[in-house]
Amino acid sequence: MRIDRASHSVGLVGGPGREEAVAFEANVRIVDEPAFTVLAVLGASNGRLSRFDRQILGAGRLLADAGEGGGAVIAVLPQAADGLGEAGADRAIIRGGGDFADVAGRAEAFLALDRTLTPRHWLFAENGPEADLARRMAIRLKEPILTDVEHLTARQAVRASHGGLREEAGPPPRLMTIQEDRVASYADRPCEARLLDAQTVSADATDSAIVESEIVPGDPSSMALAEADFVVSAGNGVSDFDAFHRLAAALKATPGASRVVCDAGLMPREAQVGASGTVLSADCYFALGIAGAPQHLQGIAGCEHVIAVNTDLHAAMVERAGLAIVQDAQKVMPALLHLLREGET
Amino acid sequence: MRVVVLLSAGRHPVSGRAILPPLEAQAIAMALALDPHCYGLHAGCTPDGVADAPGYGLPSLDLLTIDADVDPVPALAADLSKRKPDLIVAGRRGQGGNDTGLLPYALAEALHLPLLNDIVSAAQEDSDGMGRFEQALPKGAKRRVTMLLPAIVTVHPLAPAAAPFAYAKARRGTIEFREGPSGEAAPGLFETRSRRARPKLMRQADAESDGGGAAIIDPDPDDAARMIVDYLERLGVRRLRNEASRTTDHRD
Ligand SMILES: Cc1cc2nc3c(=O)[nH]c(=O)nc-3n(C[C@H](O)[C@H](O)[C@H](O)COP(=O)(O)OP(=O)(O)OC[C@H]3O[C@@H](n4cnc5c(N)ncnc54)[C@H](O)[C@@H]3O)c2cc1C
Repeated sequence: MRIDRASHSVGLVGGPGREEAVAFEANVRIVDEPAFTVLAVLGASNGRLSRFDRQILGAGRLLADAGEGGGAVIAVLPQAADGLGEAGADRAIIRGGGDFADVAGRAEAFLALDRTLTPRHWLFAENGPEADLARRMAIRLKEPILTDVEHLTARQAVRASHGGLREEAGPPPRLMTIQEDRVASYADRPCEARLLDAQTVSADATDSAIVESEIVPGDPSSMALAEADFVVSAGNGVSDFDAFHRLAAALKATPGASRVVCDAGLMPREAQVGASGTVLSADCYFALGIAGAPQHLQGIAGCEHVIAVNTDLHAAMVERAGLAIVQDAQKVMPALLHLLREGET
Repeated sequence: MRVVVLLSAGRHPVSGRAILPPLEAQAIAMALALDPHCYGLHAGCTPDGVADAPGYGLPSLDLLTIDADVDPVPALAADLSKRKPDLIVAGRRGQGGNDTGLLPYALAEALHLPLLNDIVSAAQEDSDGMGRFEQALPKGAKRRVTMLLPAIVTVHPLAPAAAPFAYAKARRGTIEFREGPSGEAAPGLFETRSRRARPKLMRQADAESDGGGAAIIDPDPDDAARMIVDYLERLGVRRLRNEASRTTDHRD
């Protein structure tokens, strides 16, 4: 049986739901002849928009909609990703070259893009490769840049300087990097996200000084909890910790725990999620047998998606979850392990 | 291998006291491991803050005196092009000045050197003229890079911790003052003013994109497992089934 809390009705609901996205098409917002363009450079790793990516698009939307005549937001990303239009992109350019393609080479490709598109703004995330790219472009273009912007309106951009004691402000320059959680993502009518084919960037050029390079993906099992993007946590409702650890590994998730579990010595103190443990920045949180005490919920306030497995329908964690399974964790864990093993063969 | 560490005058974010930025103390530890005779270089008007560097083990420090508000890049570039170090190590961004993190890039352009950002480790390659580096990437990923020297690298906060500050070392280190080239004070392009505190956006649960928050009561465990995996894949959190088969492909 499925209970749909949104409508407060109890009953059977067929199908997986959530087909609205397709039905939206009639309502798509189309900018056919923009007066100018704003380029939003996205990390979009694994073909997925992160919250930060959506904030960069939100910043783009803000600048595009405030400018006279109306501008178009062009997303530049390594590979196709879902939800670009919903996040505010009018156009999209697939640059190719993989998630972490050589940045020096990418800067050259982007400079070429700058000459053909002459955008009014370039927006980057103040984050690893994008922050690097933005600075290379500012130097090559000999243009001012505001980095790590923490306040953005159509009229001014502000960043902290002098060790955070002072701030620099000015009209938004052409080049900016934006700090995470500073600009709201876009939440209005979906945009077109039309793929621009002609300008696809080839990022084959590499930094000639680099002789060899190899990317080592992060290991979720040893990653710092605060850094993890997906955390699976055990609470007092978990008794089979062997299954729990195997499940965390199979899900490629970073293991966490409630305080009760850490107090009992079943998990290390570093694994504690919550007000007196680690406050997560994960996108997704999977809680097994956790009641959802306020101190615990504080630690996951920023998690966009929550899955709960709990025997108690009335647990606060069930209320917080986007997907709640009212079932014994000791039964669900082996079923998950079985399913994930099957997928491997 | 000859290594130089670029130092900046930092400000403590709370007290405003002159300090050496913590990242540059980490840079010193990294440089010392490669070259016990490495030296520090700073262009500025006073030794405030940078004078702490010997306390973190830096054997010597060259201070190029330039007027306040003069762009330090020409002075640094002139000095470095004479002394030709194999590796120039800098913090990824200052803490107490402009703090834009642009200086290493401007220097790389001026000296025509390659730049690798956000490194957490550095080692000398056995064959001459190359270095091996580890670069921190988002989400805990790393990139191992073998690179031709000379080069500029910037240090990421995840690099090994700095040595503790020692007064005995601070006294032993030598500071040499040299006059840097004179230059015009570069006017700031943007207005600066005292900072206003602005809270970050609250991170909120996105119940709608979660599908309205469904509670599935007492399902068969296998159905529950399938729902959870579907959910994770639909949201793009993990591509478990495809990824799982891809990893097995790699293994054989
Ligand atoms: C000052 C202060 C700070 C605190 N800081 C933190 C903190 O940082 N982090 C933290 O976690 N807590 C913190 N706490 C403790 C917090 O209040 C709760 O006591 C704790 O989070 C409860 O952990 P739990 O949900 O695992 O255990 P319980 O409260 O025992 O809940 C267990 C849950 O598992 C369910 N369950 C039971 N059996 C099963 C089963 N077989 N299958 C599935 N579900 C099952 C139950 O229905 C219940 O919902 C703090 C408390 C105080 C006073």
